[in-house]
Amino acid sequence: MPDSSPLQLTPKMESITQSVLAQAPLLRQLTDGLGSPLNIVLPDALDANVEAFRAVYRQHRLRGNIYFAHKANRSSALLRHLAGADAGVDVASLAELQHALGAGFGPGRIMATGPKNREFLLLAARTGSTVNADSLDELSELAALVAAGRLPRVRVMVRLAEFASRGVRLVSRRSRFGVPAARLHEALDRIEKHADQLELTGVAYHLDTIGLPEKALALEGCVAALDECRRRDVPAWSIDIGGGFGVNYLADGEQWERWTSELAQAVLGRRPPLTWNGHGYGLRNEAGTLRGALGLYPAYRPVSGPGYLDQLLTTTAPELRRPLGSLLLDSMIDLDVEPGRALLDQCGIVLARVLEVREGPDTLVRLELNSRDVSLEEHGVQMDPVVIPQNSAGFAGPAEVYLLGNLCLESDLITRRKVVLPVRPRPGDLLAFVNTAGYFMDFSATGALRQPVGRKVALFRAGDRWSWCLDEQYWPVPERAEAA
Amino acid sequence: MRFDDMTEAIGNTPLVRIDPAVHGLRNIDLYAKMELLNPFGSLKDRAAWQMARPLLAGAAERGDTVVELSSGNTAKALAMIAGLHGLRFKSVTNRMKVPEIKDLLLLLGAEIEELPGQAECLDPSDTEDPLARMHRTLTSNGSGYVHTDQYFNERNVEAHLHGTGPEIIKDLDGRAPDYFIACVGTAGSSTGVARALRQHAPDVRVIGLVAAKSDFIPGIRTIDEVHEVGLFEPGVYDTVETITADDAIDGLLTLVRRCGTPAGPTGGGAFHGAVRHLRAIDGGLTERRTAVFIVCDRVESYLSYVRERRPGLFGRPAKRHDVRTLTEAEVADAPTVEIDEALRWPGLVVDLRSPYAFQALHIDGSINIVDELFAELLHGGLPFSRRQPVLLVCPVGEKSARYAALLTRMGHPSVRSLAGGIIAWRDAGARLVRD
Repeated sequence: MPDSSPLQLTPKMESITQSVLAQAPLLRQLTDGLGSPLNIVLPDALDANVEAFRAVYRQHRLRGNIYFAHKANRSSALLRHLAGADAGVDVASLAELQHALGAGFGPGRIMATGPKNREFLLLAARTGSTVNADSLDELSELAALVAAGRLPRVRVMVRLAEFASRGVRLVSRRSRFGVPAARLHEALDRIEKHADQLELTGVAYHLDTIGLPEKALALEGCVAALDECRRRDVPAWSIDIGGGFGVNYLADGEQWERWTSELAQAVLGRRPPLTWNGHGYGLRNEAGTLRGALGLYPAYRPVSGPGYLDQLLTTTAPELRRPLGSLLLDSMIDLDVEPGRALLDQCGIVLARVLEVREGPDTLVRLELNSRDVSLEEHGVQMDPVVIPQNSAGFAGPAEVYLLGNLCLESDLITRRKVVLPVRPRPGDLLAFVNTAGYFMDFSATGALRQPVGRKVALFRAGDRWSWCLDEQYWPVPERAEAA
Repeated sequence: MRFDDMTEAIGNTPLVRIDPAVHGLRNIDLYAKMELLNPFGSLKDRAAWQMARPLLAGAAERGDTVVELSSGNTAKALAMIAGLHGLRFKSVTNRMKVPEIKDLLLLLGAEIEELPGQAECLDPSDTEDPLARMHRTLTSNGSGYVHTDQYFNERNVEAHLHGTGPEIIKDLDGRAPDYFIACVGTAGSSTGVARALRQHAPDVRVIGLVAAKSDFIPGIRTIDEVHEVGLFEPGVYDTVETITADDAIDGLLTLVRRCGTPAGPTGGGAFHGAVRHLRAIDGGLTERRTAVFIVCDRVESYLSYVRERRPGLFGRPAKRHDVRTLTEAEVADAPTVEIDEALRWPGLVVDLRSPYAFQALHIDGSINIVDELFAELLHGGLPFSRRQPVLLVCPVGEKSARYAALLTRMGHPSVRSLAGGIIAWRDAGARLVRD
């Protein structure tokens, strides 16, 4: 029997998120004063996430650094808060490096990754940050800068890629980054050649996949690379495994399964569409058979973040047949990670004002923000926003609606999915897009059409109430002790 | 029976009545079509042979490779058939989830290619899934591949339309059964058999079984995945019902323990789904009916699958001298030595780390017995003389403390654990060597 109840995708909300959403008057005041959209970051939520990763380290008896992947959010408040936690920062641009230094990270806690220009390399070298080299030429360029500036030796890691598998051939997506693992010896030769400028501390990989077998292969490949260092008497002791640990966005796995099943039915024409213009999110109907692949983030991921790291460390190394965590420990290797999204779980909310509710065959809700301000659709993450009504008179609901953005563009839908709101929104209400700190808040926001980019505020506990400040004003300064 | 090659042994499998005392149905005779008796081990032998046969002419001369999207029985059958005809076989798969099958395929000389997992940072402009890309490579001319395309190849259905289906009718003395219950994988067997039975008696009820969405039963598709199968036509089935991995294992246990049938999880699922469906009808019947389900393959390849889900079935007696029996107090009292004393250790140094890590760097003069092996040795008793002092070394001094405690309990007077392990040793600047 077809179930016709609304296809909700209820977001997973920890108590800190729920507690903020309960502050309706404060949230209204903030959007009235600072405009819509409004980005809220919750620095306090970081501590539990760092601790959860640390717990996995302890469980596997491993040492190493947790580098926050800065690119996931531009916030100063989040960075300054992390500077006071047991974490480092992974910076991928000159400005991110400057930002990290300004937030209080010492160079020993900074890892410079990604594509780099000479200025970025110079500042990393001058401050003594670790440079995670993307190519062989980057090593030479860095060495030349160090030599020219008569700088002390710079710590480097080499990012490896294209790990070979034996027996079963594991296919991985082609990556633009890294040195092929087979050319490790060339990297080691170069570092040896520039021994006065470069000090190898370890090797790295970062794979853009949620597949464990590929990562297990890469991690084992890195262990082999450090073994090669042992053989050449190079004292490198770290492996940086990058990020990609993921977040679980949804409260209820059954909702996700039901929605994805129904989407397939809709694409096959066996039920009314669930999406704008019958968009299939990568699925298509070819003569009654479903083709393509669902191009969406697996929004319900019970094993994600620290749990995913634990699973990787528990996975048996494909060749050496020992759990990867034990293998690292046996070989005295420190483990570095670069989580972005996973460290920002529950750390932010994007608020938008409802401008218009248009009735018709479909209910259209027009918002004062656009799909770049909260880039859920771009990243393929599906979850329903939460309504914060202006007043409590006469609720009706639930309501199935399409969310329209504020750009004069046909394509500016916040999501092409028909979302389900527990109450019917009215002009003046706020919609809260929860758990959006990681990649969905300011990653893609632009000033197109001179529409404003959202202001960012930090919300934090002051005693038993919530207080706020502009993001750039936030410093985790302890309260002054009472005078003796 | 004398055959020229093993493919001639495909088909003509027996139809065996299940003892009513086992299934408890009073008005329905339940039969199992024993496809596990095919020469390569499963129902898929029929389709594999039927699909591959017309493609073989000239393939060996061209040096073609047979390729199929399969992580199970079809791959196994095709690998055997390819080998018979001097061809190579390559299996492309999303994830090979049953380790025994993977190893078996490698043993058969197959090449296995696993497709990448989903991207963590999604690129929405990349609408091409790896599968579609692979299909394009295979179908381009002169690719050197013979692609059997089991999910879309009508010959998969025909193998059962002309083979499995008519055999059932023949064995039921020319009558079609009233009910036919089948798990849906490629939909080839269920569609083919259903078509044959209905040509004979249009009112045969066909029950399709699929896996619950978040579940995994090897060889059965989930309710979503069946729509990706070209051969799947919803109209074939009077009803499509869901079974869980738990149901499948329950059914498997009944078949292996009570019916003399070493069936795998698909057969178990079909049996469980059949009995569940028929039980609801049985009480209201006034005349005898017959029902048929398919036992697709054999249990041996799924031991790890069952072990993972029902570890209790594999319970073994507890072993002597097991570190897991140590109390926290015993571990806390384990005798340890600090680095400075360890530097002057007079006896044996046993490194419990993996051979790989040991070979990279170790304490000079030490010997390596990896912890798993050491645990096995201790089950048998003390592996060295009581007069031989022994220093145990592990990464951080935790495992070595446990083994030192156990050896102490076993009566060894001079066993010690290196406090802080080899990491502390390294951090103290003590010498490590590589032989």
